[in-house]
Amino acid sequence: MPPITFTVNGKSRSVSDSADTPLLWVLRDTLGLTGTKFGCGIAQCGACTVHLDGVATRSCVTPIAAVAGKRVTTIEGLSPNRSHAVQKAWIAEDVPQCGYCQSGQIMAAAALLAKNANPSDAEIDAAMTNICRCGTYQRIRAAIHRAAQRA
Amino acid sequence: MSARTPLTRREFLETSGAASAGLLIGFHLPSGSRFRTAAAAPLAPNAWLRIGADESVLVIVDRSEMGQGVTTALPMLLAEELDADWSKIKIEFAPADKAYANPLLFGMQATGGSRSVRAAYTPLRKAGAAAREMLVAAAAETWGVDKSACHADKGAVIHAPSKRVLTYGKLVAKAATVPLPHDVPLKDPKEWKILGTRVRRLDTPPKVDGSAQFGIDVKVPGMLVAVIARSPVFGGKVKSFDATKAKAVPGVRQVVQISSGVAVVADG
Repeated sequence: MPPITFTVNGKSRSVSDSADTPLLWVLRDTLGLTGTKFGCGIAQCGACTVHLDGVATRSCVTPIAAVAGKRVTTIEGLSPNRSHAVQKAWIAEDVPQCGYCQSGQIMAAAALLAKNANPSDAEIDAAMTNICRCGTYQRIRAAIHRAAQRA
Repeated sequence: MSARTPLTRREFLETSGAASAGLLIGFHLPSGSRFRTAAAAPLAPNAWLRIGADESVLVIVDRSEMGQGVTTALPMLLAEELDADWSKIKIEFAPADKAYANPLLFGMQATGGSRSVRAAYTPLRKAGAAAREMLVAAAAETWGVDKSACHADKGAVIHAPSKRVLTYGKLVAKAATVPLPHDVPLKDPKEWKILGTRVRRLDTPPKVDGSAQFGIDVKVPGMLVAVIARSPVFGGKVKSFDATKAKAVPGVRQVVQISSGVAVVADG
């Protein structure tokens, strides 16, 4: 099958996975970017959130064919040296517990702040639909406010 | 979560053979008094401390981090008595080994039941205290002064009367030749500088850039991956299944019935 070409973290990549392969598995298995996590596989939990042309997208249900020619950013490409405002805020608030959902949470938060520089609690709650089994929601909200102040 | 390059037992033994690389202290839980340098007795210890000539302080954590903070709490115990510079502490997970059994969990290498800190509380502090004593002795010997005139603070030994300071990294080679002290007194909790304070979690940075490794991220040579189709009804059993279509998917090796459903085994 013809290779599918798209941009990942600023670099052009061509993959020969079948067209219906979810972007998540292309990132993790083909490209070795394991920071993006598999959670539910049905777009409910948000652990697999990446940016597709800047928009928070659940990669577990996004076929690779739909990504051709587009720009994908994963947690690995959000910033060099954890320097994105959201990552700095996440460290300052010590947000993660087990950490499994946090790549997705951070990508969702970064996409939210790119659209809305100073979201209210209600706007955060509406936009942040990712699930955290440890229950770090309070610190996620605090970190988003902190990132908004510093952005 | 796991550090990116876990220290294998082989690497540990190799490192411990190179005394010049740093000071290695192995210790057994729960009896922290049976300290031996790994170089003198290259046996698999339960948990270890490695101080590098580059001032790094590596704490091997023999419990799983599940968000409860154990990869911060256990190093705090050791760092307190070591008088380490907390900002220099690095962590790695212990490899699987009988030596890492939790004495409070039926001797299993397991994490749970609020038994991690409880089991490590005294042995890890004793390990840190013994290492600090060795470093202080090494500094006193270097300066030709009585070690009772020296004290340790934030990763260095200080001789207050002469205002001389030697960092741990500069002392490790000599400290490795100091006989292991036994029953070093532990600090009075009133003297604690790290324990009882709020410190940054050591596991946070790798959890915000995708570098933290979880079980799903681990790859070993020849690894296969199994996905299990389970009954949608509680207690449901497999009557029959047709593996034809699953086997036609590239990479699928085998489809097998197991007690909880049907497992599809494929290339990792």
